[in-house]
Amino acid sequence: MTISGARVVDAHVRVGECREAALPLHTLLATMDRLGIDAALISPPERCIAYHNAEGNALTTGAAAASGGRLYAYAVANPWRGTDALAELDRARSAGAVALAVDPVLQGFDLHDGLLDPLLRKACDWRWPVYVRTGTPPTALPLPLASLARRHPDVTFIMGRSGATDFWIDAIPALRYAPNLLADTSYAPWDTVLSGFGADPSVGPERVVFSTDAPYTVPEVELERILDWPLPAADRARVLGENLTRLLP
Amino acid sequence: MDIPIIDFHTHTPAWDHASWLAGAAFTPADFTAFLDSAGIRAAVVLSHDGLFHATPEANDRLAEFVAADPDRMVGFGTVNARYPGAAEEMERCFGTLGIRGLKIHPWLQGVSMHEPSLDPIAEVVAAHGGSVLCHDGTPPYATATQIAAFARRHPTVPVVLGHAGLHDTWREAIAAVTETANLYICLCGVPPYAGRHIIDRCPPERVLFGSDAGLSDQVGQAYAVARAHEITRWGVDDTTLRRVLYDNPRDLLGGWPQ
Repeated sequence: MTISGARVVDAHVRVGECREAALPLHTLLATMDRLGIDAALISPPERCIAYHNAEGNALTTGAAAASGGRLYAYAVANPWRGTDALAELDRARSAGAVALAVDPVLQGFDLHDGLLDPLLRKACDWRWPVYVRTGTPPTALPLPLASLARRHPDVTFIMGRSGATDFWIDAIPALRYAPNLLADTSYAPWDTVLSGFGADPSVGPERVVFSTDAPYTVPEVELERILDWPLPAADRARVLGENLTRLLP
Repeated sequence: MDIPIIDFHTHTPAWDHASWLAGAAFTPADFTAFLDSAGIRAAVVLSHDGLFHATPEANDRLAEFVAADPDRMVGFGTVNARYPGAAEEMERCFGTLGIRGLKIHPWLQGVSMHEPSLDPIAEVVAAHGGSVLCHDGTPPYATATQIAAFARRHPTVPVVLGHAGLHDTWREAIAAVTETANLYICLCGVPPYAGRHIIDRCPPERVLFGSDAGLSDQVGQAYAVARAHEITRWGVDDTTLRRVLYDNPRDLLGGWPQ
């Protein structure tokens, strides 16, 4: 598989042992080599998102530091931890984290209960993009995320999974409502969901970022879908990496 | 690996009543060309228009569509349980149109699986040896355990979870299928890691595959072709895969196709 001229950056993978899937670092790097993926943002496994935040941040920042620039670390901190969560983000940033990953279901909060706002203010100060997994009602949905994004207009949010699957119907209305919200390609067929993003005048390929969401997927299938999507080469390059690269240090 | 596929979850075009989620127009010949391109031997074709407006005409057009190649397509019609004459229309589907089952989409059709108005319709399905396929994976009207409760009210009717719980309720779907003898699970729109666990944990004779073809904005149904190819890369052994892709759906369809 070759991707001529495009720098490919995977916006979201989870490394380590999740409940029903696992992604060892050496497997991730081998897959990136095989598929021509230049860089990836890595999030820790589910238990580290929910509870063992420090362990998760040590895993992602350590892996990023040892990767020669191929891996970038998401930081995680359960918002219920209050000031301890903010201190955890400080530590993760010192260790090299460049973005915040949030999962309202795993972390047990509501995007509009106020718990996340102090973390978002940190992300704003540091110019970190914020990945929020979506798709699960009632607390992890595209439109509530869009409302949150409008309250934090200087933060760029990535709508993880773009509402997959039944809340794909809310993805474009959310993107129209919040200009600082980006769509994520994982799971999304090019001939239904992605073509809708591409054709909408207020969205377009410049607001879509490629993601494999490994280890939950077959990564080559996630990439093949973007290569099959009939886009001008410049737009495909934006989706595959340029849009996200602008948000990274 | 050369396993024939019976795709248990496809749709006709949306002809009249879908004001969104409609996709491209296509003919029966286009559809069988898609089946060929995806390596699919035969398909259960579900109503599409009828999910938005469940009229007898929608079932007529479904029957006409699958009649173009009865060796490769069977139809599952639909009725809205709240409409007067719904059970009679279901009877007409089986007795006159050659329909083989009932498709229910609780959130599109606004029907709870607990509504008693579904029961006489299910009794018609039972009398004809048909099956019910129900959209699932989406609260509040289409969870696996809600559909399992309906299945337990009609223990002689095979009831298929049309989406295996999708991304958020597939663990619940496994539990429901495991504890409900007439509940089947169709791997359709479920993420690969979940699909592997479903195959590992559910009764092996009750796992099916579906592509959800028919919704694409391309006549060739690109995403459905990709899904049919993707499942062969989930790391499932060939013997199990053959059961899921061919033997199980063929058994459920009474040995069709020949």
